[in-house]
Amino acid sequence: MAGLEKINRSEAFRYMGVSGVPDENLSAAADECEVRLLSAAAPKFCWTYAEISGFAADGITLKGHRLTLRGKDIAEHLSGCFGVVLLCATLGNGTDKLLRTVQAEDMAKALVCDAMASAAVEQVCDSAEEEIKKRFTDKFMTWRFSPGYGDFPLDTQKNFLAAANAEKLIGLCVSSGGILTPTKSVTAVIGISETPVEAKKRGCGSCKMREKCLFRKTGGHCGE
Amino acid sequence: MNKKEKFQRLLSENEFVFLDGAMGTMLQAKGLETGGVPELLNLEKPEWLTEIHKAYADAGSQIVYANTFGANRYKLAETGKSVSEIIPAAIANAKKCCGESTLVALDIGPIGQLLEPTGSLTFEEAYDIFKEQIEAGKDADLIVFETMTDLYELKAAVLAAKENSDLPVICTMTFEQNMRTFTGCSVSAMALTLEGLGVDAVGVNCSLGPRELEPVIAELSKWTDLPIVVKPNAGLPDPVTNTYDVTPEEFAESAANLVKYGVKLVGGCCGTTPDFIRAVVNRLNGMKYAKQDVKLEAAVCTPAKTVEINQPRIIGERINPTGKKLFKEALKRGDIDYILGQAIEQINAGADILDVNVGLPDIDEKEMMVKTVKALQGVTDLPLQLDSTRPDVLEAALRVYNGKPIVNSVNGEEGSLEAILPLVKKYGAAVVGLTLDEGGIPKTADGRFAIAERILARAEKIGIPKRDVFIDCLTLTASAEQAAVMETVNALHRVKTELGLKTVLGVSNISFGLPNRELVNCNFLQMALTNGLDLPIINPNAALMTGAVRAYKLLANIDENASEFIAAYADSNMTTSVSGSAASAPAQKKGAMDLPSAIANGLKAEGAKITEELLKTHDTMDIVDNMLIPALDKAGAEFEQGKIFLPQLIMAAGVAQAAFEVIKAHMLKSGGETVSKGKVVLATVKGDIHDIGKNIVKVLLENYGFEVIDLGRDVPPETVLEAAVKYEVKLVGLSALMTTTLGAMEDTIKLLHEKNVPCKIVVGGAVLTADYAEKIGADFYAKDAKETVDIAKRVYGN
Repeated sequence: MAGLEKINRSEAFRYMGVSGVPDENLSAAADECEVRLLSAAAPKFCWTYAEISGFAADGITLKGHRLTLRGKDIAEHLSGCFGVVLLCATLGNGTDKLLRTVQAEDMAKALVCDAMASAAVEQVCDSAEEEIKKRFTDKFMTWRFSPGYGDFPLDTQKNFLAAANAEKLIGLCVSSGGILTPTKSVTAVIGISETPVEAKKRGCGSCKMREKCLFRKTGGHCGE
Repeated sequence: MNKKEKFQRLLSENEFVFLDGAMGTMLQAKGLETGGVPELLNLEKPEWLTEIHKAYADAGSQIVYANTFGANRYKLAETGKSVSEIIPAAIANAKKCCGESTLVALDIGPIGQLLEPTGSLTFEEAYDIFKEQIEAGKDADLIVFETMTDLYELKAAVLAAKENSDLPVICTMTFEQNMRTFTGCSVSAMALTLEGLGVDAVGVNCSLGPRELEPVIAELSKWTDLPIVVKPNAGLPDPVTNTYDVTPEEFAESAANLVKYGVKLVGGCCGTTPDFIRAVVNRLNGMKYAKQDVKLEAAVCTPAKTVEINQPRIIGERINPTGKKLFKEALKRGDIDYILGQAIEQINAGADILDVNVGLPDIDEKEMMVKTVKALQGVTDLPLQLDSTRPDVLEAALRVYNGKPIVNSVNGEEGSLEAILPLVKKYGAAVVGLTLDEGGIPKTADGRFAIAERILARAEKIGIPKRDVFIDCLTLTASAEQAAVMETVNALHRVKTELGLKTVLGVSNISFGLPNRELVNCNFLQMALTNGLDLPIINPNAALMTGAVRAYKLLANIDENASEFIAAYADSNMTTSVSGSAASAPAQKKGAMDLPSAIANGLKAEGAKITEELLKTHDTMDIVDNMLIPALDKAGAEFEQGKIFLPQLIMAAGVAQAAFEVIKAHMLKSGGETVSKGKVVLATVKGDIHDIGKNIVKVLLENYGFEVIDLGRDVPPETVLEAAVKYEVKLVGLSALMTTTLGAMEDTIKLLHEKNVPCKIVVGGAVLTADYAEKIGADFYAKDAKETVDIAKRVYGN
């Protein structure tokens, strides 16, 4: 499940704040990190589908689920949707171990490794989305909206993981500080709709990093 | 009859013991919401539970699991109910509907939070959580730990059970198709560790269907002679329909196929129902329990790596302060990174096991040992040999060790045998026995052999298996006691061949006081290996020594097709060193390389080499102030101008760090003080476990000559306060990555202010802004590592 053969380097370099063509040293570090990361990572994802049972004032409720999706941004994101997919993905514990090891070896490499792992977990989400699409061929899907985006609260994580049975299925937990562990992990809501979803850009508006983002300062923004 | 006997009788009177099937699946069929807390139903819907338990008992389950899987204080936190309310009720619900012949298990699953080092839950906290569950479940007939994926968490659980109850203990972990659990635990590591801890049955549950579990069970049967438990899923759930794809008949057929591996206890996990159990009971009717005839061999492990002592294995000796000034300094500073560096160097040089000794008169050895063991197992998969003369230090290390370690050491003295062997037994370790006693080290091989025999007898008497006793016949210095050398070799040979025990030997002592030590060491090592040495304790970084072991394995036909040897030397380099960064650095530019250009080009090994040369002709401060710092400043300026990026800045810093290490070693050797432009305390705040940013800041600060007291991650405010006061720092740096942990940052600042600590506070982290930093009372906001250095310079006035 969730094979990972190659890491999206340009994305990883973007996370490192590198623009232009990376120099020889950096490319060499990326080569080494990629090999080690691909062997340390155990990419996994799981997802579950739930029907939306109501858009209430305190959030969106899901049929048969205890989880409520709170906040006006997620409500907006899911407007027009009849169901959601709750997606969880992780690179596993081995990646955290590698990141600790590389930090003890060489901080520059650790920085490269960390960024590459961040790129890799997004790739795992992409392949999960491919699988999900196959189950909803005649439907339309929104982009991935994660707890922490806009006003969709981070403290949703514990119930989110329980709803997707992520601890059992892929070993994903949340720490008492609200951090997903293993750390290179993602949770996200994908809306499912009968009608084409308005092509909203996965953009800077809901991003907490918008004031500091180096990439944004140079005119770039995330999303396709 | 006590409960342990009752359980044993159940096992001995039946070919197979049948467990129950899924609880969650049955509760969801009755209307439990997904993501709801199933344990609350013990109080809200007791009749559901009695119905389910009865259905399983009627289907043939001889052990039913009470509905207590997630009844821990973390998972119950938001329910308003306590562990002591839920667990007794759950056990009562199960007992109500089952006769005397059906046993009720206290069922305990994972806590739901990852343990350190990946998570923030400590081993000690995990123990405490399990202890509460075990005490609440004292009315059960046995304890089951299931669906475990983290061996460390399971160890905490088993210890909690063993120390707070007399009930029998069954453990099952959850494996993936790659034969590993989510956290990377192997089947062999599970078996070795749990058997050592004295559990009553071991096996697997959940995750896969019975057919897919076959290779896991086959592997397990090679590693344990305990009864094997299997409780598979009914296949995998479909994410849309939430249904499972294996029928009861298919399930029973696959279960029957597992009997040949010595499976004794069978049940079902997610997706199974009483129909599945009934089908299994019927299918296994008439079959015989196939007890495996396993010959267990000596092995030690961490979750991810099992080292079988079936050929010479190198124990790296470098994590030991004896005779090492830099190491002693690092211990006094509590500098774990230094120790990790020592570990990584030895791993890359070819060590199989690492000896860990942090004994130094003026530090808290116990605290340091625990800290070191935890840090080491965060970065390496090599098993450890826990080395101390103090039983309390050994016990503390044994507790927090993840896997099966070696204890170094016990000896033939009565006091030592009495203090050490029970610890070895309790924690399921292997042990090194030194052939000395009250009378000292016997001069003759016969005398040492006699002590080895005695240590073995004493170990076996308290239940330590023979395979776990390794004997060290002790190396004496050839220059002082030349005649004793062959006594050591002969004693080793006899212990190996006559007692059939594995042997250990510290080698390097042999040449003390002689010229050309390596030559002597190498030859002695070869003599010992030829006479049966299994575990040479050496400096693996000495290429000739590691090479001697590899060559021996090649010549003794242990290293088949010389593959290990060729892999190590095919590139003709004797060793590879990570600290040299050789693997990734571009081809070294020969000729006019100087320190600033080594820094600019990110060439670590070159930087260190050039510094060594410079020290012959230059004053240390001259190198620091006129070469290192200006080169770093230049890199910093280029970074600010966007000419280079963060990874390159840190690469430059890495070279400077390597140069600094050389300077530090030089100064210690010449008895001078180390360079320090001032001390800075750094911490990633409570609740936050992302510390890469803080570590980048640390590297840069150190490069500018600041002494960093690194408190790590997830650091409580009190610890920051304590360090700020103790080290009398002028600057404290706090880092937080998540919005959820900014509160902890504010608390830390508040505490420092309340206690009037005369220090400035600089904060940084992804979600912080200058405004927010000001709002929470920080003196400075640093947007990146470079700016933190500028601030530190300002605070310290240089």
